[in-house]
Amino acid sequence: MLNSNDENSFLIDKEKDITSQYLTQGYYIGPVADKGALSWIHNSFLHIVKEELNIIDEDNAEPILDFVHQKISIPELNNFRLNVIKKINQLPDFRKKYFQIAKPYLDMLVGNELAMQVKVNLSIQCPDDDSSLLPTHADTWSGDSPFEVVVWVPLVNCYKTKSMYILPPDENEKLNKNFTSMAGAHSEDLYQSIKDKVDWINIDYGNVMLFNNSLPHGNRVNMESETRWSMNCRFKGIFSPYWDKKLGSFFEPITLRAASSSGMNYKLPELS
Amino acid sequence: MGENCHQSTQNLVLRDYCQRKNYKYLLSGTEYSINNSYLMLQQLVDEIPVINGIVAYSLFQMPENQEKRLQIINKILDRNGELHFALENLKISNNSEIDRVENIWLVRQTMPNCISAI
Repeated sequence: MLNSNDENSFLIDKEKDITSQYLTQGYYIGPVADKGALSWIHNSFLHIVKEELNIIDEDNAEPILDFVHQKISIPELNNFRLNVIKKINQLPDFRKKYFQIAKPYLDMLVGNELAMQVKVNLSIQCPDDDSSLLPTHADTWSGDSPFEVVVWVPLVNCYKTKSMYILPPDENEKLNKNFTSMAGAHSEDLYQSIKDKVDWINIDYGNVMLFNNSLPHGNRVNMESETRWSMNCRFKGIFSPYWDKKLGSFFEPITLRAASSSGMNYKLPELS
Repeated sequence: MGENCHQSTQNLVLRDYCQRKNYKYLLSGTEYSINNSYLMLQQLVDEIPVINGIVAYSLFQMPENQEKRLQIINKILDRNGELHFALENLKISNNSEIDRVENIWLVRQTMPNCISAI
């Protein structure tokens, strides 16, 4: 196991600090690396949402996301969400901007030769809505490789049940050792067995979280008065193992480096 | 390169892809199951420009040999056709799109030399 205090490691102090937080908490939260890229994404969302909801203009546009539940009913929510996801993913620069938000952290935690999920996901969780819940799960339980990192970007301030929870690595180890008894008969049993151990993520707009996808996580009914908007997207080393989420259909190389490109195309000379 | 599923499932994916992209789905061509056979694919390529392009179920149904793969791709482009890959939602309609697809191919072919299990 990588130890961030390893004297033989060539990681610089900042990298050691971020590595340590990621390994002990299961996640790292820091300010976005490119504020311009986040603003671009935020403005793009506002534009799409206004278009979808036929909002002509509003001087104070900021609360639209937090209070979108005042403009849309729960039965309409899924179609609305699908349309927003489709439109945002169609913007040619969207994935590049998303990457720029987290680039230095990804460099430190994953590497600089990365594959990125083809589509960025969006969560919209209105107050009291029980139709948008993600039960306790680890991505690795459904085909994601444990070599992936999830980049989670809030578009609004997220706190308490307006946010997500994650089980820290030491508690996850205990869960894995007693999985049969703790998992119970269905996912709610599993949540009940870990609910006192999970960390609820407190993260404001302007920050980004990178978390370990092999740790159990999820959300509950949003009991706060505002709607949660957050995006998530997976990144991994290009040459690290893929599980069911394959290169090509789920991941695409985004920062292939010259040596790899050269190496992949190399052929030994042949004697005729 | 092992990207296969039942033909009826492949047809569903192809139909869905064409519907989403507003393409007219004509008839599906089925490649012979002989190893390294691309005879049906070659025939479809020859039908361009009578047909506008070809939608393959997956990128990884193309020849593993890069030279052969590029030969087919270039022939399609020379005939002003397009090559689409439904599963990956990727297309090649110009030279710059070849690199994107080739990078995915090359990484996939390099993976057997990388760590594969934990």
